[in-house]
Amino acid sequence: MAMDVTFDLNGSPATVSVEAHVTLREALRRLGMFSVRYGSESGETGAAAILYDGRLASADVILAASAHGHSVTTVESLNVSPELHPIQAAFSAVGAFQSGYSAGAMILGTLALLQEKPDPSEAEIRDMLGGILDRETAYVKPVEAVKRAAAMLRGDSVEAFAPLIIPPLSDGRNPAPAFDPDDPQASPPEASVAVPRLVPSREVPNMAVVGKPEIKVDAVRLAKGNPAFTDDIEPRGMLYAKVLRSPHAHAKIRSINDSKARALPGVHAVLHYDNTPRVKYASGGQSWPNPHPYDQVSFDDRVRHVGDRVAAVAAETVEAAEEALRLIEVEYEVLPALFDERSAMDAEAPKIHDEDDTTHICDPQRNLVHHITAKRGDVDGNFSGAPHVFEQTFRVHQVQQCPIEPHISMAWLDSDERMVVRTATQVPFHTRRMLAPLIGMDVKDIRVIKPRIGGGFGAKQEMLIEDIVAHLAIATRRPVRLELDRAEEFYASRTRHPQTITFRTAVDADGTLLAQDMDIIGNTGPYGTHGFTVQIVSGLRGLTSYNAASKRFDCRVVYTNIPVPGAYRGYGAPQAEFALEAHMEDIAQALEVDPIEFKRRSWVKVGDEMDIAPHLGERAVAEGELDEYPKVMSSGIEECVAQGMREIDWDRRNDQSWKVPADRPNIRRGLGFAFCMHGTAIPFLDMGGCSIKLNDDGSFNMLIGATDLGTGADTVIGQIAAEVLGVPLDDIKVYSSDTDMTPFDTGAYASSTTYISGTAALQAAEVVRDRLKARAAMLLEVDEPCTIELRDRRAYAADGRSVTMEEIALDSLHWQDQEQIMGTASHVSPACPPPFAAQFAEVEVDVDTGQVTVTKLVMAVDCGVAINPVTASGQVEGGMIQALGYAHCEEIVLDDEGRMVNPSFGPYKIYRADEMPETVVYLVQTMEDSGPFGAKAVAEIPKDGVAPAVRNAILNATGVAINDLPFTPERVWTALKAS
Amino acid sequence: MRVGSGVALCLLAFAPMPLVSGYHRPVSIEEALELLRSPRRVALGGGTTLNADRDPSDLEAVDLQALGLDKITTGEASGRVRVGATATLEAVWRSELLPDSLRELARAEQPSTLRTLATVGGLIAKGSPESLLLAGLLAHDAEVELIAADDDSTSRRSLSGLLRSGLSPGALIIAVSVATTGRTAMASTARTPADIPIVAAYGRSSEAGVSLALTGVADHPVLVDPSHPTAGLAPTGDFRGSRDYRLHLAATLTARVNEELI
Repeated sequence: MAMDVTFDLNGSPATVSVEAHVTLREALRRLGMFSVRYGSESGETGAAAILYDGRLASADVILAASAHGHSVTTVESLNVSPELHPIQAAFSAVGAFQSGYSAGAMILGTLALLQEKPDPSEAEIRDMLGGILDRETAYVKPVEAVKRAAAMLRGDSVEAFAPLIIPPLSDGRNPAPAFDPDDPQASPPEASVAVPRLVPSREVPNMAVVGKPEIKVDAVRLAKGNPAFTDDIEPRGMLYAKVLRSPHAHAKIRSINDSKARALPGVHAVLHYDNTPRVKYASGGQSWPNPHPYDQVSFDDRVRHVGDRVAAVAAETVEAAEEALRLIEVEYEVLPALFDERSAMDAEAPKIHDEDDTTHICDPQRNLVHHITAKRGDVDGNFSGAPHVFEQTFRVHQVQQCPIEPHISMAWLDSDERMVVRTATQVPFHTRRMLAPLIGMDVKDIRVIKPRIGGGFGAKQEMLIEDIVAHLAIATRRPVRLELDRAEEFYASRTRHPQTITFRTAVDADGTLLAQDMDIIGNTGPYGTHGFTVQIVSGLRGLTSYNAASKRFDCRVVYTNIPVPGAYRGYGAPQAEFALEAHMEDIAQALEVDPIEFKRRSWVKVGDEMDIAPHLGERAVAEGELDEYPKVMSSGIEECVAQGMREIDWDRRNDQSWKVPADRPNIRRGLGFAFCMHGTAIPFLDMGGCSIKLNDDGSFNMLIGATDLGTGADTVIGQIAAEVLGVPLDDIKVYSSDTDMTPFDTGAYASSTTYISGTAALQAAEVVRDRLKARAAMLLEVDEPCTIELRDRRAYAADGRSVTMEEIALDSLHWQDQEQIMGTASHVSPACPPPFAAQFAEVEVDVDTGQVTVTKLVMAVDCGVAINPVTASGQVEGGMIQALGYAHCEEIVLDDEGRMVNPSFGPYKIYRADEMPETVVYLVQTMEDSGPFGAKAVAEIPKDGVAPAVRNAILNATGVAINDLPFTPERVWTALKAS
Repeated sequence: MRVGSGVALCLLAFAPMPLVSGYHRPVSIEEALELLRSPRRVALGGGTTLNADRDPSDLEAVDLQALGLDKITTGEASGRVRVGATATLEAVWRSELLPDSLRELARAEQPSTLRTLATVGGLIAKGSPESLLLAGLLAHDAEVELIAADDDSTSRRSLSGLLRSGLSPGALIIAVSVATTGRTAMASTARTPADIPIVAAYGRSSEAGVSLALTGVADHPVLVDPSHPTAGLAPTGDFRGSRDYRLHLAATLTARVNEELI
């Protein structure tokens, strides 16, 4: 029975009619407070935090009825003018938002804190933020934002937030010389950790917009909590979908009886294998043709993991849809299940794909999906004669991406009966193409709209639920919305591939690597999706980081019944680099060589070939088919190492008085290092497009297919265009992405957006620039348009005369020889320039309990030219902390039946603001000529080095090497005991 | 990672509870008790547990917010403080009447966005085996004031006894009183600094001796003999800590607390 509930909402009385079970979050969204967002049912994400009688509280766990008579404040209360409130301005100024999904909660928490404590301590700030999980920023810049807001509200002056320029310590190619003890440079620079340390390169010219800490183009909409995300619109007549999921890890569906569900009032459709076309596909969001096997259908008569799809319902309410699910009668024939990749190929292992209509499985009788091999040089010969041979096996586990916004999609048929899908996706164009055959429509009749996304990290590089809402929209001819709940996001979304990795390395007497052999058993779960390409990247990262005379890669990708692995930021690299950097560390220790010195001898340098790279991948060539191998053209690794060593105070790793603190006998301290190398986009494959047009006032609309997940891509690409066009960033209005409106883009993955889509924007801007110059030359009566220079919103002739962009626009659109000045370009690259990084970790190990506390992380990154050093450093900070979770505390745990026992935050532990190690980021500039204004990638490399650096720090602290992740207390304690 | 299927999900931070079908907000204890006589009704403290799960049920929520049970006051007995059942963990954290160590446990119990909602009474009723604040209350000689469903008068029970027996159906927790004197120490082991500890030991030294409570070793926090902390313990293992590891932690952490208290 509904009841009227009245409370004070942002200073005015509000009444809403609700059922008893309706939460305050749901009620507030009904009232248009879209800043209050879903993260989970249990409130621990804080995405729905509000001020409840002035105190920060999660509206997820407050009944709307309980709020009767109370005061509720949302961030909309601050939106009284077009200008930002000082707190909103502070968060925007320091780049504290990435996706901005929980922006409202953070701003409200700050408001309440500063009202009580105008000058809060950092601990108080972190305690407040501790209730708002942020998967993106590592809380570094949000903490800075609160401090800045406090200063602004106190009336203190604040300086512009900008990078700290650091002089280089090396010549860029050789190791930095040791410091003289009296050298002031021996100590790292002092500044807030939120401030990126930027080591400039002389090769990089000073620019007006590129390289500057511009405020994000979407800052206002995020700071104000404006409706921007998928769930922030509600088409009339919308139905709610829910999915019935398998309780069994492996079973055949003998029958489904949906009659009771269909008869339930409010239910409009029930779909399952018996009434849905069987069209085979692979769900990974990848370029055409998607890698085989196509081993999925929308609804199957076989389930292959707990949480697999069984049926879907569309109903008038969520509750009716859930009730309908309970009424569906399913008869299962439970089959034996398989979870461990190491036993997947055993003869007695259950066969996971024995259906007739899935092709291109390497050996279905052995659950072997792919067998990938690559080789260069005489591997066996090098091993047989080597003075030293080292072999180690590592096991890496399964974790989840944990975007705070779960997967959510809605679909409807528009007035032309075309299918419109509004969805939180990283790959709108792939989704459109992949969806078409499943729903029996042509690509031309499907429009995919990507609104603001609340984080993805690869989980949304998948056509995961879009087919369900589209099928239901066709069945009901009504708009349909489906949002995964938090538990579904864990076990029915996508995860990182577990792997068993064996490295074998032959080393010469002088420490030179003679051969490296990498063997992987990759666990792709029940479906192939990204199973092929993720392992390829593992091979690339595992075998291109160091030079060796010969190399061999052997990878078997197998089916199991675990929750489905897919793309996850880093995409196979974190697994490989953990094993590689641990292996190299242990070799150095065995040879009694300093680990950095040992690695330096062999890590790839400028001019070195990336020798096995062409033999791996979707377009691999065999050894001997290639005349020339790609080479490293830029590297700042020596400078990265030098800056990182100074920041972490590397010499302490041999200082016993520091390692064994006298006042804490159970504590051992250690430092660890990892060399990191990643890729920038997929050569010859990743493509992005951009279209730019001039407006009457001299501003520009820029349409891009690139997908900003919160990474700042819209801002960075806008900066590139603004630099070319000689205008401030604010004059570039960025729109992304909509398959009907924007040019094609492969999507947000493979660290490609700045490099690929940014270059497309640069080239489109150059087309526009050339027309602007021509028109300006006409207006200024200059013969040579090439002598015109664009800057400061004007076009200047060589003699100093100028016209404004607005004058050019009005002339070209309205006055003479009218034309729409516009430019379109697309870009694909033959190169894949690697970013490099030096990752350092400092840990404390409690040797009596095994508890590891990570106290500091330092990453110095060569990402070429950081187009925006604030967003770039934010990427590194956030990536490092995700990587720390992988190393330290995150794990998907299954019981014997394959059920996940920890599908909620808390049991599945991700880091909070009030427990973070100190994190420091250095951006070391290099000039990568193939990138836009010298840029390489930055988004994924932060995921690569933390696990091995922490592992190596534990080794330094305790002398114990641990080769399985994560470093949870009992695992470490067990290893210590065994040692 | 995989574990045995017998692992109890009660170790998870947010235990499943049903979505309610009715809502009541009594304005007196008598009214609340009358409402709670029905087995279909359940007391709603802060809602952090009750409202965290959305499975439908026929249960109705009896919201205790209007009963005035949220006060934190000096107790009748010297050296004790009385904490009302609907006092939030935030209120406990902010109360200067309580020892700093106990206040810190309230802060650590829940993050900022849930601490303002979760109540002391709800915490006691739930009896989570991993609750730091419950361990602290145990060591501070906590007594619970409650009214049973079939008895209008207030009775007092030790928190230790109440956690052992569980709250009887229809009973209403009114308050908990704690001793505030003595020195305290704590030691814990967790995956990360703010994670719920796998095992925690909290001790209090007073004229009466040392009281020491452990989390993570039984189905609720327990008082143990500081000299023989693992005697009689049979913890259930889970993916964060096996039975043997928890026993090891119990012994190790107790020794650390003892050493700090001595």
